[in-house]
Amino acid sequence: MIPINYYLATAIILYAVGMYCLAAKRNMIKLIIAIEILTSAANLNMISISSHAKPGAVDPLGHVFVVMSIVIGACVVAVALTIALYAYKHYGTLDVRELRRLRW
Amino acid sequence: MFTWPINLLVIFAITTPLVYTLGVKASIKKLVDVWAVIGFILSAISFYPLYLKVSSEKVLIHYWVGIQFRGVALFEIDMLSIFMAGLFIFIGLLTAIYSTRYMEHDTRHGEYYALLLLMVSGMVGVAFAGDFFTLFIFWEVMCLTSYVLVAFRKEQWEPIEAGFKYLVMSSAGSATMLFAMSILYGIVGSLNFAYMHKALSESVTPWSMISLALIVVGFGVKAAVTPFHTWLPDAHPAAPSSISAMLSGVVIKTGVYGLIRVMMLLFTPESYHWHTAIAILAVLSMTTGNLMALLQSDLKRLLAFSSIGHIGYIIFGLSIATVYGLTGSLFHVLNHALGKALLFLCSGAFLLAAGTRDLNQLAGIGRKMKITGFTFIVGSLALAGVPPLNGFQSEFMLVLAGLQVGASRNLWYLFSALMLINILFSVGYYLRIIQVVTLHEPSESVSRVKEAPKPMLFSMVLIAILCILIGIYPGPFVNLANQAAQSVLSVESFVKLIIH
Repeated sequence: MIPINYYLATAIILYAVGMYCLAAKRNMIKLIIAIEILTSAANLNMISISSHAKPGAVDPLGHVFVVMSIVIGACVVAVALTIALYAYKHYGTLDVRELRRLRW
Repeated sequence: MFTWPINLLVIFAITTPLVYTLGVKASIKKLVDVWAVIGFILSAISFYPLYLKVSSEKVLIHYWVGIQFRGVALFEIDMLSIFMAGLFIFIGLLTAIYSTRYMEHDTRHGEYYALLLLMVSGMVGVAFAGDFFTLFIFWEVMCLTSYVLVAFRKEQWEPIEAGFKYLVMSSAGSATMLFAMSILYGIVGSLNFAYMHKALSESVTPWSMISLALIVVGFGVKAAVTPFHTWLPDAHPAAPSSISAMLSGVVIKTGVYGLIRVMMLLFTPESYHWHTAIAILAVLSMTTGNLMALLQSDLKRLLAFSSIGHIGYIIFGLSIATVYGLTGSLFHVLNHALGKALLFLCSGAFLLAAGTRDLNQLAGIGRKMKITGFTFIVGSLALAGVPPLNGFQSEFMLVLAGLQVGASRNLWYLFSALMLINILFSVGYYLRIIQVVTLHEPSESVSRVKEAPKPMLFSMVLIAILCILIGIYPGPFVNLANQAAQSVLSVESFVKLIIH
């Protein structure tokens, strides 16, 4: 079994990648992907911890939480894509720099 | 199931679209509006027995899945939860009454009221949550509905822009919180607050410090504490005014509630010593909020910035972490929720009548709309902290608590002084908006405005009366805030119900 440290390191790297995307990317869809990456980092962390809770057993609590979190993440992405769609209708672009008042 | 106040809100939220369709089919106007108001009233009524029960038993435990499963999926309701949840339902009710006329030029009422009811049920659920699983679900219900409500008028560009910005920042905050929860779950092996308190207060490790930092960021984004506030001045003005009143009045208080609950229960001040860091965040928030508010010419944007300032005052009370400081802080939560909701409702009435939010064009509108103008003056003076009104009482308490604790922690003299300066600053812009709105000669754009319709006036006048009442007779309200503060500090009684 792979030691838990590798999973934790991966989760932290994923979190950093997500934050970098949020800060550096200018495309609305990429920002939404960044949010998904951030949530995935937390989910991965939760799953890996729950699998290492006891040797030879998996803690169901972490899995319950992650299933819930995935469902909620899907809802957030649905709302975000809807808003991005309307923004595209208004401006004809997905570049957040083209939006007039947003100051990121 | 989830206790009755939440059950009713959810049931009414689900049935609202059906009622809307029915109302359209039978061509009964306002059916859905009345239905939503009834939902809030019933929820408020069912809230009262819960209040009585909690005030006699102190802490109430309710497993909403029906079975005990390792302390997950439960409500743990104490006086703090009751205090916050009561406030949420009350402001929600007044907003719904106000919306019956304010939103009548919009379409899609079914969705609007369903989202409003769900948002309040999410907030009440956050206030009741006894573990991170419950807290996260209701938190996201609240967040999701508020994203949609900010971007509700999707045919205009401003709500869409602001909604997207709000969504990105707020869900990044939620993800950060989720990350912190996963680390805490790794440390403790459970998601229950009581187990977490036990494990976290015994040993302070680097991992628990990291999760503390992450969780402050997560809740701080929602509460608009300064480094994470940039979404607020865009999102709050862009929403419909009734929703702005909800967002500025109570939704950001959910973040404050989360901070108070987590910081006082999980990361106890005795083990983690976060006082100074939180106080610095508080001072930063109030300074930024008040300074930026001085520069605005858009009425709703000004009010949004002043919300950041007031969040600073509330967080300052948390940083003191004594009964007196927390009482002041929670009392200010109540007063700011009333005052800011009132001001946003008034600005909504102005917006509806004159069609503009620009202060220069709104000049003298208070002379044309006498009752709205009067309530606007009451709200502004209350938030500015002018003596006979409610804001004064809590701001005074906060400064006094800061000076009191300064005897043992000297830095708090400085912070209290900074808070006093900030209150003076804030008087500057509140007096300015009062002067522009009520003392100037009516400008051309407001020459033909009429008084706001009755349901809108009802909400505004009721809050204005409450502002005056709490200012003159603060006893019972301070008492309530004091009980809530004491229940925050009596951690043991909260924990021993779970861990025997």
